[in-house]
Amino acid sequence: MKILLAPLDPVHDAGLKLIKRKLEALGYQCVLLPPDITVEEIGEAALKEKVDMIFVGRTVGYGVEQLFRRVRHVLTVQGVFGKVRVAIGGMAVTHELAQSLGFEAGYGPHTTIEEIHALIERNPELARHITHPVKHKPEFPFPHDNAVKDPTTLKYLDQIVDGILEWTANKTSPGVVRAHITESQLQDVKGSVESYTALPFTRDYLGQCDAAVVDFFQKNICPPSVRQITQQEVDAYNHRIDIARKNFHPRFLQHGRKKPLVFIQYGTGCPMMDGMHIKVAESWGADGVLHFDPAWGARTEGLLDGFLTNAEDGTPVTYANLSLIKRSLDDATLWTVRAHRGLNTPEIAVLAGFLGADLTKINIVYGSICGGTDPARLTVDGVDAIRIAARYKMPFDIPTNEELAGVPPHKAFAGMLIMAQLGRRLGAQPILKPLLCHGPYIMVNELMEQNYVDYNFAKIRALQTLADFPIWPGEPIGFMTHTEEKEQSATTTSLHVALCATLGLDAVTTASTDEAFSRGPITSAGRVGSLRSIEEAFRFFGQTEIAPSARAKEWTEELIVGINQTLKAVAEAPSFVEALYQGILGNKEDGVYPGRAGRNSVVAARPAAPAAAFKAPADTAPRVSSFGK
Amino acid sequence: MATARDMIVDAMDIESFVLCESEKEAKELIGKLMQSLGLARFVIVSLDFNGPGAHFRVRAHMNKPGDSYTWLKE
Repeated sequence: MKILLAPLDPVHDAGLKLIKRKLEALGYQCVLLPPDITVEEIGEAALKEKVDMIFVGRTVGYGVEQLFRRVRHVLTVQGVFGKVRVAIGGMAVTHELAQSLGFEAGYGPHTTIEEIHALIERNPELARHITHPVKHKPEFPFPHDNAVKDPTTLKYLDQIVDGILEWTANKTSPGVVRAHITESQLQDVKGSVESYTALPFTRDYLGQCDAAVVDFFQKNICPPSVRQITQQEVDAYNHRIDIARKNFHPRFLQHGRKKPLVFIQYGTGCPMMDGMHIKVAESWGADGVLHFDPAWGARTEGLLDGFLTNAEDGTPVTYANLSLIKRSLDDATLWTVRAHRGLNTPEIAVLAGFLGADLTKINIVYGSICGGTDPARLTVDGVDAIRIAARYKMPFDIPTNEELAGVPPHKAFAGMLIMAQLGRRLGAQPILKPLLCHGPYIMVNELMEQNYVDYNFAKIRALQTLADFPIWPGEPIGFMTHTEEKEQSATTTSLHVALCATLGLDAVTTASTDEAFSRGPITSAGRVGSLRSIEEAFRFFGQTEIAPSARAKEWTEELIVGINQTLKAVAEAPSFVEALYQGILGNKEDGVYPGRAGRNSVVAARPAAPAAAFKAPADTAPRVSSFGK
Repeated sequence: MATARDMIVDAMDIESFVLCESEKEAKELIGKLMQSLGLARFVIVSLDFNGPGAHFRVRAHMNKPGDSYTWLKE
């Protein structure tokens, strides 16, 4: 097939030159006319060269419609139009404009060569991977040795983990008991949301709950700022999700890189608002999403149930809420449900596992010294939660947000590595989640006065030197580098993503442009802003890498020494739990202290009795609308 | 019948540059602007005053988490 490429501009013909090169590579014979030609000369050339098709390009946008109207008229008069296929293109050209003027097709500035090829051959399948891209859920985390490489580090870690397993043996807690009741009930109903929410609550379950949860089930009293979502709202929401799914075209951010995958965190308070934000984030290229629950949920014994919305930050964890969100996800989207820090850690892991969450989040250290939970309690619950994660094949990430309270990175990383080794010993897949942040310790010690690259580089290289676990910085990257100004916020997020790409990391959790805005909820448009900026950063850097200065190497070595010194101190403490109380992994001077929620609730384990169903007496308040247990 | 405003997921931001002589004046002008547009539920997200005036972004909340969302109504 012979194709004539005709630029209708005085000088601009770069687009047609590019098309010529690519079409010739596909085997087409092309004739490219020089710029600054007349419309009449296009028709004359088409007749002389006996071409099968003409592409007329016009870069300058103004007056484009009148110009192409004239092109058609002249080519018709010359006997070309109708005999030779004609398509038009340029900055202001759309397919709709072209068709309205009678041309075969129009192509704009973002048209790919595959789409032009499909147009020439009249075969849409040739561009299907462009026009209808398919995104598959990646096997995540990516392969690693999952082993501690440094022998000194390994020696201390194994010593500490031996101690944890010995200490927790034959101990249980209300959180563990509830998790096992819930798991048993979910097994009975085979995970069905409808059947589970219709179950009567059990005396055994409520016996392990705080009064607020008991009141919810027995007296229909919701916590402040929480309300039940009506079935009508759920139905309308599901309809909206179906519309979003129908019009969804996946987007790929990484510009040819395999990693890092890009996650966003959600937890607006409402599962329906979360779901809509998830659909927006998926549509603008996010690979995964993380569920954040409200802070009070971590400090309260027991979970609520049913479809619930919260007018404040954090979406209540209930089986129904999680199922609603699960239904909203695209098949390719990785889903993490945070379990990690509170009194319901094992039970949330059970709910996540039953609903097929891809990942969960557990960190005993962070939850104990920064999340408000008693160290003894969270050690028992955390070990159980890791076992649950292993059973449901959910890798778990280990956040180190204690850095935001002022804990030095070497202490936070020591705690993270203890959790990782504990996870390996329990048969689970741990993922390291360091913060790339401008945290208090870093500010006070002026470690990022010159740039945000060197110290972040050192942190990651220290971890990579000691062990080979997947690394997924969050939550989110660039914490405390954002301002309320949209462009600044998007820029700092995207540059941190680029740094993570250089460091070869597996994934990143990214903020919206509302990250530093604390006077209201995050908006969907703010998510789009960040994701577009991230996409552009991947495009800008491609496969190139960011180089740190020599200081990064010095800091890497300092961090390694600090991590091993901290691990040695923990190993020499009477127990891991005692080390947490003593503040070896973070103390009051650092800005953290042992949590109090659930203190003295660890008890000796005994064989579990079967859960007895308990029906509320007729004279008490009705159960929560159509659900409850 | 849903209006265009009903279909906004959560909030609408307006970003612009207002000529003024202080940050305080900028805030007053933005408040008047939002009132005149009938957007009473608003918050100034960012404001940067310098030289001729202020670069600002103001947010009108249409649907906050926990609301009965307008985009779920028939």
